[in-house]
Amino acid sequence: MGDIEGSPGSSMHGVTGREPVLAFSVASPIVLTDPTAKFDLPVDSEHKAKVFKLFSFANPHMRTFHLSWISFFTCFVSTFAAAPLVPIIRDNLNLTKGDVGNAGVASVSGSIFSRLVMGAVCDLLGPRYGCAFVIMLTAPTVFCMSFVADASGYIAVRFMIGFSLATFVTCQYWMSTMFNGKIIGTVNGTAAGWGNMGGGATQLIMPLLYDLIQRFGATPFTAWRIAFFIPGWLHVIMGILVLTLGQDLPDGNLGALQKKGDVSKDKFSKVFWYAVTNYRTWIFVLLYGYSMGVELSTDNVIAEYFFDRFDLKLQTAGIIAATFGMANLLARPFGGYASDVAAQRFGMRGRLWTLWILQTLGGVFCILLGRSNSLPIAVTMMIIFSVGAQAACGATFGIIPFISRRSLGIISGMTGAGGNFGSGLTQLLFFTSSQISTAMGLTYMGIMIVACTMPVTLVHFPQWGSMFLPPSRDVVKGSEEHYYVSEWTEDEKQQGMHQGSVKFAENSRSERGRRVASAPTPPYATPNHA
Amino acid sequence: MGLSAILFVASILLSSFALSCYASGTFSALEKSLLVTSSPKAGHVLKAGEANITVTWSFNKTFQAGTDSTYKTVKVKLCYAPISQEDRAWRKTKDELKKDRTCQHKIVSRPYSPSTNTFTWTIERDIPSATYFVRAYVFDAEDKEVAYGQATDAAKKSHLFEVEAITGRHASLDVASVCFSVFAIVSLAGFFYLEKRKAGSSMQK
Repeated sequence: MGDIEGSPGSSMHGVTGREPVLAFSVASPIVLTDPTAKFDLPVDSEHKAKVFKLFSFANPHMRTFHLSWISFFTCFVSTFAAAPLVPIIRDNLNLTKGDVGNAGVASVSGSIFSRLVMGAVCDLLGPRYGCAFVIMLTAPTVFCMSFVADASGYIAVRFMIGFSLATFVTCQYWMSTMFNGKIIGTVNGTAAGWGNMGGGATQLIMPLLYDLIQRFGATPFTAWRIAFFIPGWLHVIMGILVLTLGQDLPDGNLGALQKKGDVSKDKFSKVFWYAVTNYRTWIFVLLYGYSMGVELSTDNVIAEYFFDRFDLKLQTAGIIAATFGMANLLARPFGGYASDVAAQRFGMRGRLWTLWILQTLGGVFCILLGRSNSLPIAVTMMIIFSVGAQAACGATFGIIPFISRRSLGIISGMTGAGGNFGSGLTQLLFFTSSQISTAMGLTYMGIMIVACTMPVTLVHFPQWGSMFLPPSRDVVKGSEEHYYVSEWTEDEKQQGMHQGSVKFAENSRSERGRRVASAPTPPYATPNHA
Repeated sequence: MGLSAILFVASILLSSFALSCYASGTFSALEKSLLVTSSPKAGHVLKAGEANITVTWSFNKTFQAGTDSTYKTVKVKLCYAPISQEDRAWRKTKDELKKDRTCQHKIVSRPYSPSTNTFTWTIERDIPSATYFVRAYVFDAEDKEVAYGQATDAAKKSHLFEVEAITGRHASLDVASVCFSVFAIVSLAGFFYLEKRKAGSSMQK
């Protein structure tokens, strides 16, 4: 029992940018428990859980958590299911390296669009139906693999399966309706990290299934098609579970409850404007493309790379590739944690340095992975690379909530889309052409990671400084209030719409590091989610 | 001083042996002492799982007698022609035999005999669609390549034939696929409709 004090807890409320911004402002750092509610876990006044009990399946909070992350995990499994089987698929469909590369690009591109749309869908239909719609409607695309006969069909099907990664948005949105702001960071980080593990688990699962099906007598070119039925069934099973066992809100479902009308909705155009005109947004869009983006790219190429370069069996290559994605279990939360620890001493500067160090380290070890000629060294380099890149993802979302209070949702969404875009671009540049071997591709990708992480040095907060520059000495400009309230016009301030930002500004003083003598424990501290 | 000099010389000798072992693991070091022919006419398209290839091989008598004293086993393989290696680095030809990926499919393995050997092979169902030629490697008692022969010329342009692979698709798979897809969509629509109706009727109450 008891709150998880001082640990990550920033709201992803507003992940779509369309939610009411002022809907829940935690009045004080101490969140009162609603004594009249009859839930398994202690809840606040909105009936959101205040405690995160990992191994419970109690309805509705923890049940939602497990439904949510397993759905997201399933979509990662199906999106990257082809990757470890490429050595078989490329022979069956007579693919060239260009075809394989283009399919990889396609697999991550679809969700750029679907993630942006999913925000609106969650607002309209609720996260339960958002999740169920995506996962059930992409199930036929997974089953479609049995029809694929050539390169264009393969690329098209991988593109369509990629839409399912929109479950990231439903996952984070659903968590924010069920869990209080103080712990939402841990909850979202765990859910996203465990979902991302699907990209690793699939590298293990698919070759094993393929081998099993072959033992039952199927020829290789049929066996891989049958193997795809398993991710397809998982989609259907999770869709049904979400529909039957899930609910949108702690008190019930969206359609059955009456919506409360006493919160003011923010205007999408305004929220969008403040997101795109803040230069920090774009720097983080680029950065996330080279932490999350390279993770997705590597999920697509690493099994084939080990199979070809070191002459391994399909299953062995799959096991090695799986360790890359499975590191998410701990690496991503670690990144968020490291960011929080650095912030306690050095404030925002500590967070920026932590991000830079982790992401650059990832890049360096990616270069070394490409240049490794022996298997044990290559595996070691790959593991360190995976920890660096995934921890950087966690550290990124330690900073994102501070870029803007008003536009947090859209900025998070744009950053997520940037991750996919970076992945598509990297695969197009380095893993599609026959002129560049996969080993050289990995080396170039590592160089690009190091180069594209440099812009984090440019991120400057007037109230906290940047990696090299101190904060502004001006009394007004150097205050947190000035930064966050400047997102509102005079008219809006007159209507009192900016109160949430004022509160957030007060609580964000912790980002000054040890300069703050007595800052209250912020309700919106650092999330280590993605 | 004397001992270290001996060790130094020994290590030089050992490494030179190792290097010579390495050098002999190349394709260009092999003797082309086998005559190999394959049955498909140039440009022929053969169906995997159905068509046959007949391969014959024998020792090329123009070589000195005794050249084949170390020959123990012959492995006949199906090899990719240059056109099927384009843009596919996983089929690349390399001189170092350990790294060479030209010949990935084994047809047959037989003990060596200098007279004419014949083998008829039904193309297996996991052979991909590509253009091929036939090559036979000869191995010594230590299972190292010592010689070869191939049914095509040195530029790998003549006597090439195509194999058309099975698709791997089956009608039963297609049907199952459609059934499960329809189930997914129908159950989603069904749930949605039922819940909307329940919400509607509860609001009317």
